[in-house]
Amino acid sequence: MSDKIDIRTLRGNVESINALPTVPSTLRRISVMMEKPSIGLDELGRLISNDPALTVRILKMINSAAYGFPGRISSVSHATMLLGLSVIKGLLIGVSVFELMEKTMIGLWEHSLGCTVVTRMIAQKKGLKEPEEVSVCGLLHDIGKAVLMLQYAEAYDKAMQKAEKDGINIHEAEIDYFMVNHAEVGHWLVQKWHFPMNLVETIRYHHHPNLSKQSPMETAIVHVADVLVRAKGVGYPGDLVVPAVHPAAWEMLNLSDNDIGDILRNLEDAASFARETI
Amino acid sequence: MPKVSVEDLKPGMKLAKPLSRGNMVLLGEGTVLNETWIARIGDMGIEAIFVEGPSEQPVPKEEAIRQLDERFRNVLSQPYMNRIKKMVKEHIEGLYV
Ligand SMILES: [Fe+2]
Ligand SMILES: [Fe+2]
Repeated sequence: MSDKIDIRTLRGNVESINALPTVPSTLRRISVMMEKPSIGLDELGRLISNDPALTVRILKMINSAAYGFPGRISSVSHATMLLGLSVIKGLLIGVSVFELMEKTMIGLWEHSLGCTVVTRMIAQKKGLKEPEEVSVCGLLHDIGKAVLMLQYAEAYDKAMQKAEKDGINIHEAEIDYFMVNHAEVGHWLVQKWHFPMNLVETIRYHHHPNLSKQSPMETAIVHVADVLVRAKGVGYPGDLVVPAVHPAAWEMLNLSDNDIGDILRNLEDAASFARETI
Repeated sequence: MPKVSVEDLKPGMKLAKPLSRGNMVLLGEGTVLNETWIARIGDMGIEAIFVEGPSEQPVPKEEAIRQLDERFRNVLSQPYMNRIKKMVKEHIEGLYV
């Protein structure tokens, strides 16, 4: 295709997301703040507390089934103490990026919340130490889609149409328009925002979990969660067909029928939560 | 829990939330409705109440299964995908009983 965007330009544009006129001021402020290599929990807490709308959204998320502290956390300071820096950072980016999506691509928010719930459940079932950190990976795994859509609305629309028409997955269709897929794009962003390695890896490899060297378990969890959420048909990730699960990732998690049944039941609630938060 | 409009209430349905007026609870959570209660609820001008049971599904079961088949059409020959599909199908069927 002749109208392909070259990768260097693409990366430059994605990384200067702050300059986009369509980016709301809250997201811009958050993004600028996260570019600083060292940022304190208290600084983030202040940023949230000074913005009532943001406070409500963050507390709603944490108290939802997705985070497993239903109705128990009523203040930002309590939340920051309990969840720690990288989870709060992830939540901030998550709620402010996807707020945008609610107008243009509501289904992506539902898909992402579904993945948040499922990654958290699998992480718990597998006894991971920080299930909340893994669920942030679920929340942000498709952030590249949101950014591509924001920056290249027309081309992204074409990619979604192509995916639907050809019965392929959106990450395959994206290659035709951007040369890379949203996983690559998303990882540029979270790297720029100084997220921890496991988040960077899970985002980058969630469609190719076999490539993850540093965080194979977390990446497998996000990969499998994505497949299960699509299998259940929660939300709209940009295409209409379920991709095949990567066998090694599936085997690594070794979920029982009971586990899967449990996950599907919890997904029902996640879907209605997504609709309520709009 | 579905919200059911008064015309569609049937004896035997159970309240999923207490029914109150102001700060007075008229019927407690878990009350099993009979003809009399249903008539009173109607007389009070209440339009709909929450009853226990599975929520109403956005599409009929056959349509939900057809969409499931569509979603899985590329991957049925791939490892583990049949098992995943079968479990989702059982889950969906469970929503309609
Ligand atoms: Fe993805
Ligand atoms: Fe996804």
